Amino acid sequence: MHIPDGLMAPVVSLVGWIEFLVVFAAVLLLSGKRIKERSLPRVAILSAGIFVAQMLNFPIGGGTTGHLVGGALFAMISGPTIAVIGMTVVLLIQGLMFGDGGITALGLNAINMAVIAPLTGWGIYSLLNGLSARNGAPGNVVKGVVVGAAAWASVFVAAAACAGELAVSYAVSSGTYGIAATVAVPAMLGVHAIIGIGEAFITAGVMAYLWSVSPGSITSANLDRKTLPGLRGAISSDTARAAIAIIIVFALTLPLYFLYSSQGKDGLEKVMQNAGTAEGKPMISTPFGYGQDYFGALFAGTLGFLAVALVATAILKLVRMRTDRGTEP
Amino acid sequence: MTMAHIGGHGRTHLGEYAGDVWFGRLDARAKLVGIFVFVIVSAVLTDFGLVLVSLAVALTLVVASRLPIFHLARMYLTALPFILFASVSVFLFGGWERGIEMWARTSACVLPLLVLAAGTETFDLFAGLRRLHVPAVITTLLMLTQRYILLLSEELSRMSIARKARGFRGARNLLDRYGLKVLAFTAGMVLVRSFDRADDIYEGLKCKGFRQEMTPWRRSKVALKDILLASGLAAVAGVLLIVQLGVIA
Repeated sequence: MHIPDGLMAPVVSLVGWIEFLVVFAAVLLLSGKRIKERSLPRVAILSAGIFVAQMLNFPIGGGTTGHLVGGALFAMISGPTIAVIGMTVVLLIQGLMFGDGGITALGLNAINMAVIAPLTGWGIYSLLNGLSARNGAPGNVVKGVVVGAAAWASVFVAAAACAGELAVSYAVSSGTYGIAATVAVPAMLGVHAIIGIGEAFITAGVMAYLWSVSPGSITSANLDRKTLPGLRGAISSDTARAAIAIIIVFALTLPLYFLYSSQGKDGLEKVMQNAGTAEGKPMISTPFGYGQDYFGALFAGTLGFLAVALVATAILKLVRMRTDRGTEP
Repeated sequence: MTMAHIGGHGRTHLGEYAGDVWFGRLDARAKLVGIFVFVIVSAVLTDFGLVLVSLAVALTLVVASRLPIFHLARMYLTALPFILFASVSVFLFGGWERGIEMWARTSACVLPLLVLAAGTETFDLFAGLRRLHVPAVITTLLMLTQRYILLLSEELSRMSIARKARGFRGARNLLDRYGLKVLAFTAGMVLVRSFDRADDIYEGLKCKGFRQEMTPWRRSKVALKDILLASGLAAVAGVLLIVQLGVIA
């Protein structure tokens, strides 16, 4: 998944760099107190540990092998902010010492593997962990499934972001850069859906080992709350943590949509144009639109996401109330 | 992929070839600036002829650096799958010229970075970044992580020998539960050992005067030959960019 220089359209690489610098500055600000003197060696040794763990290849069939990405594992061990910093360090070392991943593409590589992968893993782990713990402490198998699902999703979503970047590069450069969506999306998602299974097994195995041998080394839950003292209450629930992760990943991938949509009409608009029809006046006007610019769309998307989440939560509560009433003696 | 990198070096320390060749003795700042400028410009070239010129310059740098070609070729092979994936798909959709252009452009960007990586002692590279005002927290993390990677990869190597001695021959496929469990526990053990070492290492660093930042002790001056390399690469990049902009216009 390490993108080399010269593959992505310059505008897409620029968007990646801007996003990465914004996220990295925010993360350094949030974890500033922890990234001081005593914590530096710990972050460095965790990064080195993940780097070395990436050396363990596992077979994925057909004589090919995959290796751990480690973003989800890093986030589960030390929390998302430290994971973003540590994974960025891993990518910088791979790029500078081994030429693996480019300089202009570093922003996109970091967004995919050092931001989206750990955040997705952490978000899904938090969400499923909260759900599985509702009926008492989950068993080892459930814990393993939760960790495995989070690890698989982290690789799959990061690969999807990479495929999206390749497809957008192809679209905005009229085929000079990137790879056509019809090739990039199935190829990237197909391969990484399988690599993700290996990632899931290895991550679940590593976490099981750490839980039994060194539970004190898993510091993510406590440290995160220390990171954001002002928002302690807001991020204390697992669901809220997952929501934060989803909104950040959405905000990071939204510019790709704008770049892509700037090149043409969507499917329905194209069909309407071919049929010679035009959009009529709407019967009902809503207070919010989908947004014509980045922040408008980000606001509308976040609002829509929160509305859906609230409605879903209300329905679940209603179902639970009815179920509880039905089981009362 | 990473294993191939470490294994591919064949020497115990990364960047050890740096001391053998003239390129390795140049100031890291000059190499970083010159190569980064060249790579950034090469990445935005879209004219077929200019892309081939930038590839020729990159190949000249490879040969002129006097670094072992076989060693650089092995490093290049690790980046090749992605490059080929892109080049072949562009070839299928846009014809041979575009396919070759994609391969040439990505290779022209990758090769100078490989020369930089193989031809610069790692701590000099990170110290160069610090002297170019990259934030201390990043360069310190890079230096510490690089040091720990060497320690932990030795640890992993010892564990690998121990596994083999007990008859483990690697996981056969994704359904091989036992094999994957062994690999996962090995990774877990590496992490646990690294946690155990973190405090010891911190105490050791304190004894050596560590205070939030790794200070490069080695001094390095930018000499005329360094300026010539950086300005030469920047000049080539500048000419390519001007011609490219002329082509676009």
